[in-house]
Parts: sequence; C-alpha cells; structure tokens
Amino acid sequence: MLQKEEISNGAKGMTIIVKTIASWVKVLIVLFGIYIILFGHLTPGGGFAGGVILASSYVLLMLAFGREFVQKNMPLMLVSKLDCLGALLFALIAILGLVFSGVFFVNFLQKYLPGWPLKLLSAGTIPLSNIAIGLKVGASLFLVIFLLSTFRRDTSANR
Amino acid sequence: MPYALCFLLFMLGLYCAVVKKNMVKIVIGIMVMEYAVNLFLIMLGYRSGGTAPIIDRGQLEAGMGQFISSSVDPLPQALVLTAIVISLGSLALMISICVRTYEKYGTFDITQIRRLKG
Repeated sequence: MLQKEEISNGAKGMTIIVKTIASWVKVLIVLFGIYIILFGHLTPGGGFAGGVILASSYVLLMLAFGREFVQKNMPLMLVSKLDCLGALLFALIAILGLVFSGVFFVNFLQKYLPGWPLKLLSAGTIPLSNIAIGLKVGASLFLVIFLLSTFRRDTSANR
Repeated sequence: MPYALCFLLFMLGLYCAVVKKNMVKIVIGIMVMEYAVNLFLIMLGYRSGGTAPIIDRGQLEAGMGQFISSSVDPLPQALVLTAIVISLGSLALMISICVRTYEKYGTFDITQIRRLKG
C-alpha cells in the first residue's frame, strides 16, 4: 500500500478522501480484469475486454494522484517492454503449433493434454493466448491514454 | 427492417464525415460509421428466439443438438470484438492528429488550415 506522506501530498491530484478510496478500489479493478482474462474461454470477455479493464485501473490512478505519480509508479519503458512481451508471447504460441504438429497456430495442447470440459484448465492454448492479448491491449491502452494526457496548448505556435 | 435502420445510421455517419467543418465532428462521424458496421455484422448472426451462445454443464451432458438448434451464431460476435478494438486504436490515432493540428494552427476549422506548417 502507499505511504502516509504520499497519500497526503496535496500538491497534485485530488483530496485525501479520493486518494485513499482510489488506492483500495484499484486493487478490485485489477482483480476483476485478471478474472475476465483468465476465464475467457468459459464466460464472455477474453483478452480484449480484460486488457481494457486493466488499463482503466491506471486511468483511475492518473485522475486521483496526478500524472507524475503514475510515471514514477509504472515507468514508460517497463510498459513498453510488457507490450512487446505480450506480442512476442502470442507469436511464440502460434509458432509452437507449427513445431509440434506441422500446422500453423493449431491448438497443440488440446491434442496432447486435453483437460476436462468447462473447467479452468481446458481448451488448450486458448487461455495462454488470452493472457498474451490481455497484456498487450492493457499496456497499449495505458500508453495511449498517458501520452494523450501530456498534450498542452502550444502558446508560442506560429499563427 | 433492422438492416434498413443500420443503413440509416451509416448514412448519418457519412453525412457527418463529409459535410461538417469542425475536425472533431468529422471524427465523430467516422466513429458512428464504424459502430453501424459492427452492429450490422452482429445482427447478421441473429436467430429469432435464440439463446446466448454459452454452454453450461446441463447442455453439455444432454448432447449438443438442442444447443446448436437454438443459439445465435457466435462467430460474427468474436470477429466484431476484434474489429471494435481495432477501431479504438484508429480513434486514438485520429484524436492525436487533431490535437497536434490544433497546436500548430490554433483552430479546429478545416477551411482555415491552408498552408503546410511544421
């Protein structure tokens, strides 16, 4: 959790009530996003919706604490690396299908290790693909929203 | 009849994107057109009196015939989900172009933006 002096720093962000509640609600939002990603093959949702929910937890932090706090908490280089990691993981799952069974992007886990239907550990490589997509979409949307919020009106522009 | 209303929504978006002079209104028109296309694709897979395409344990044990004959088509829904996320990315690009153009020219009016500026 956050330290006392970080919460009561009134220079940027909102009042102390909003900051306290936001630091509790953020945990619930991240948990909900992870649930939507992991159970993507059983309930509606999947990688895309879960990634959007993960990015929206950081929007809450940006509104409540200010942009510099979020920059210190989650540096942009780390988010960019997570973004690339998600894309590479998805490509790795597709190429492993080619290695194991000769067909690109085939569900190779379902042939060798089939789980029980309607349980969490079923449907082969689909949960792994959901995790990779959720990571990528969440990181991309966080970068987009963060960088769009740094625009300021250029008062010295040539008219 | 629902397809005609979908086409009407597309025409409204097209009117906005072609006639309006404010840059933000043009972006809104493009987004309304994308919504109309996604709605049309989902409505193509509809079946009258159909159920949601989610299997539970009772339907799995009793065989899949009842489920197949009474659920709506899930394939357009999966593809439209991808299309919605793609349109979100293109919206982010359009908004950033609008913001940068406003920084350089100081106006959102596309008839005032004449000469190329750095």
